[in-house]
Amino acid sequence: MSRNAAQWRQKPKFPPSHFVDSRIYSDDAIFRDEQQKIFNACWIIACHESEIPNAFDYRTFYHPGGTPLIVVRGEDMKVRCFYNVCPHRGNTLLYDPVGNAKRITCIFHSWSFDTMGNCVDITREEQGFQKRFCKADAGLREVRAEIGFGGFAWVNIDDNACTLKEYIGDALDMLEEHMSMPLEVFHYHKAIVNTNYKLWHDTNSEFYHDYMHYFNRVTGMLQPGYFDRKYTAYPNGHASVGSMQIKYDAYEGSQVRGVGWPGLAPGGWILIDIFPAMTYNLRTSVLRMDTSIPLGPNKLVIEFRGLGLKSDTAQQRAERIRDHNTIWGPFGRNLHEDLLGVHGQGRAMHPGSEPAWVLHGREENMTIHDEGGMRHFYAEWSRRMGRNAYDPYGEKKISAVA
Amino acid sequence: MQPDRTAIEELIYRSCLALDEKNFKAYLDLCDGDFHYSITAHSPEIRKDMIWLDHDKQSMQTLLGNLPRHNSDHSPLTRHATVYTVDIDTTKLQADVVTALQVFKTTLDGGATELFAVGRYLDSVKLDDSGHPKLLKRVVRLDTRQFGFGYHIPF
Repeated sequence: MSRNAAQWRQKPKFPPSHFVDSRIYSDDAIFRDEQQKIFNACWIIACHESEIPNAFDYRTFYHPGGTPLIVVRGEDMKVRCFYNVCPHRGNTLLYDPVGNAKRITCIFHSWSFDTMGNCVDITREEQGFQKRFCKADAGLREVRAEIGFGGFAWVNIDDNACTLKEYIGDALDMLEEHMSMPLEVFHYHKAIVNTNYKLWHDTNSEFYHDYMHYFNRVTGMLQPGYFDRKYTAYPNGHASVGSMQIKYDAYEGSQVRGVGWPGLAPGGWILIDIFPAMTYNLRTSVLRMDTSIPLGPNKLVIEFRGLGLKSDTAQQRAERIRDHNTIWGPFGRNLHEDLLGVHGQGRAMHPGSEPAWVLHGREENMTIHDEGGMRHFYAEWSRRMGRNAYDPYGEKKISAVA
Repeated sequence: MQPDRTAIEELIYRSCLALDEKNFKAYLDLCDGDFHYSITAHSPEIRKDMIWLDHDKQSMQTLLGNLPRHNSDHSPLTRHATVYTVDIDTTKLQADVVTALQVFKTTLDGGATELFAVGRYLDSVKLDDSGHPKLLKRVVRLDTRQFGFGYHIPF
């Protein structure tokens, strides 16, 4: 039976933890609040260490909190992070996504910095500033940076935040043994989609949408063990999904997946979502890493990386690339479907659209089609934001139900 | 028989027309039995060449045959190709062909057209006495690396 306007707006018959107000996906003020309270306070992956292997290698990164950053390996091989902003007139220091620079020199007025963040040259310093200002006053703004959990370069804008280790806790324990060898990025591409970053993270946090993927239905959902996979929730909003054995040859045209991954059972699959917008996805022979950079409430950059082992032979790497491309490459079977899904959500819940309830109400003992992964995310989101996801403006009188 | 550049150019253009029309049988009929297809791009971000798709004729046929089982964007694509160079090797009975490629996407709702991708076809063409050259190898070398929510059908 269809519903009229009043029925459509009626609160779902679930506890308030089991649905959210769609305006959290479209409101610009909420998005700006998220930049400050979430992205600028959490550890975020900027790049992988294999992207900056040599002294003075750098990688630029647009931080989802809104600040452009430089991640650079110093002469001492330590990785540091700085605002990609000249302290003189606010110009961008490094324009290219990667490079190698012993000195970081602003093109505007040739102020120059080393890879420790020290200002090493102010052109015509004494003539212009006399003794009022000098190089010691003009260092770069350093951002906390740590390499960890698979060799990723993590950054945190908040000088007072907890350590990366404390932030992750034991959420990545399931992957620890599988990431003990040095990894290397072999695939990178970006997608820009008119949607909210949380909707992409939701897609990575629930498997009920396997109905969208023919590939996952035949290789996973129809296979033994699929409905036994369980979600585990961790502090700080992280969550994982346990492994099963995927039957890849159930998809016509699939080739034998022989190369595998150290310690992972053949056909194994481990997925771990890290709050607020990063996903480790280890499947058969490839680690896929998604990192989201929201540009607005309804505009999202997603960075996709595919990683193999640094020690790969040419043949092993070729197999990983093939496995990656089949489902996750830009022309892969699943990625386009996932992106089409969140594009559709972004189109339906665009800024200014009529508020709707978005349901996270499935309960299946925290197994694969339970929506507990999303509920766990929104509990953390609400805590950090000081807003309830089901009532972001404090308009409704909904009694809290456990 | 003297190799005919016009026939080679027409092969490239017919391959575009077939894919534009989603006539995959016609496309594969233009390909030799030893056909090999790949899509490649260079990532400045990771300083590496990447392979995004890699198929022989059989697996290409399977990929295209599986399309109806998947959820896909149905916006039509239009491939615009300009053959730049044709280098014929009469001893090998092959030609290496470089073609500039632009791919446009037209929305189903409203019909707005946008440039979707630019790149090149780097083709090897098999010649024979029949006057009907066949695609032996196609590398789609893409400059574009962002495709929004993507697409399932190869260029």
